[in-house]
Amino acid sequence: MKTQLFIELLAKRAGPAPRAPVLQRMAPAVAAGLFVSALFALISMGSIPAAMYETPAPWMKLIYGASLALAAGWLTARLSRPVARTRWPVLAVLAVFAVMLGLGFLTWMVAAPEQRMAALFGDTWLTCPRNVVVLSLPALAGALWAVRGLAPTQLTAAGFNAGLMAGALGAMGYALVCPEVSAAFVAVWYSLGILLTGLLGAFLGPRLLRW
Amino acid sequence: MPLETDKNDFEASLKPVWMRAQQGDEAAYREALEKIASRIRGFLRWRMQAMPDEIEDLVQETLLALHLQRGTFDPGMPVSAWVTAIARHKLVDLWRRRGRRDNRHDALDDVDEELLVAEPAEDGAQRDLDRLLRELPEVQRQAIVLTKIEGLSVSEAAMQTGISESAIKVQVHRGLKRLAQWVKDTGS
Repeated sequence: MKTQLFIELLAKRAGPAPRAPVLQRMAPAVAAGLFVSALFALISMGSIPAAMYETPAPWMKLIYGASLALAAGWLTARLSRPVARTRWPVLAVLAVFAVMLGLGFLTWMVAAPEQRMAALFGDTWLTCPRNVVVLSLPALAGALWAVRGLAPTQLTAAGFNAGLMAGALGAMGYALVCPEVSAAFVAVWYSLGILLTGLLGAFLGPRLLRW
Repeated sequence: MPLETDKNDFEASLKPVWMRAQQGDEAAYREALEKIASRIRGFLRWRMQAMPDEIEDLVQETLLALHLQRGTFDPGMPVSAWVTAIARHKLVDLWRRRGRRDNRHDALDDVDEELLVAEPAEDGAQRDLDRLLRELPEVQRQAIVLTKIEGLSVSEAAMQTGISESAIKVQVHRGLKRLAQWVKDTGS
């Protein structure tokens, strides 16, 4: 077929450009990912005692997860288009990490020296990152599905940020069942789980996000 | 069409036409696609010296991709950058299908944009539209043939087929998407 003819075909009755359904795809992926992650966490590990919700610990984790999911989701939405303006969302993602790491470091510094090990490692440091990653998988599948239906061209970056967003959502689910209370613990082990999910997304991006 | 050699000239001549096309101006869209096609052809000719027979196929595949994704264009960005990003994406994908990863790095390095001379001459692509259309489900094929080949308006096509206008639009879009996917999977 001649390209000229093909152009006629594409242009004919093309109408105005449709709006890219970025939000329509991202929103259900986020909602479903968060819901499945929370449900799976509560069923498999059981909720933390209700009294814990009167302490700052679970709220700190939920706010961290929600802020990061928002920032990484913003960046992922930008990366779902062929040419992306990423400066502000990148700064937002870095800012969320920086605030959490800063908070963790400060509380760790002011803790009594004999409590520092406990603040950093808690009782569950070995399982926390793994649980965050596992609980992120539904959100990761949803996020990759959402991005795949759009038009990313930087596939590793798009996959990585979809992974960060999914990791943050998984962390929110895990916050409902995690007994740890220290900010240092969250800053290190939650962030590690989230970054691992990001790396998984970066690995899957070039394989799954082609269009 | 005059040869466009300078990146800024190209952007300046394309952007207003493209913006009218985005609003639904069909003649402007045709003109924009013609400009873009010759730009992509230049871009690909530079990078596909080892497979010249496939250049025109990839030009058309890129045009189809950017048609399907034209809603993702951000008016704050240059059209040429958006077009180039899609063309590059399609080229990487072609190499991946061909297992030519070794070529990726040197050819994808930024070349001097001055070298991206438009290529107005063209051969037909190797694909045959009729053969492709036969691969589609009847309702999608019919919607495409009526609106895109016979040139009926969406409401005329809706009247003739007895399905709604929005269903016609959806079937055209799905049909083009399916064609893109099919072309991509078979690589032919």
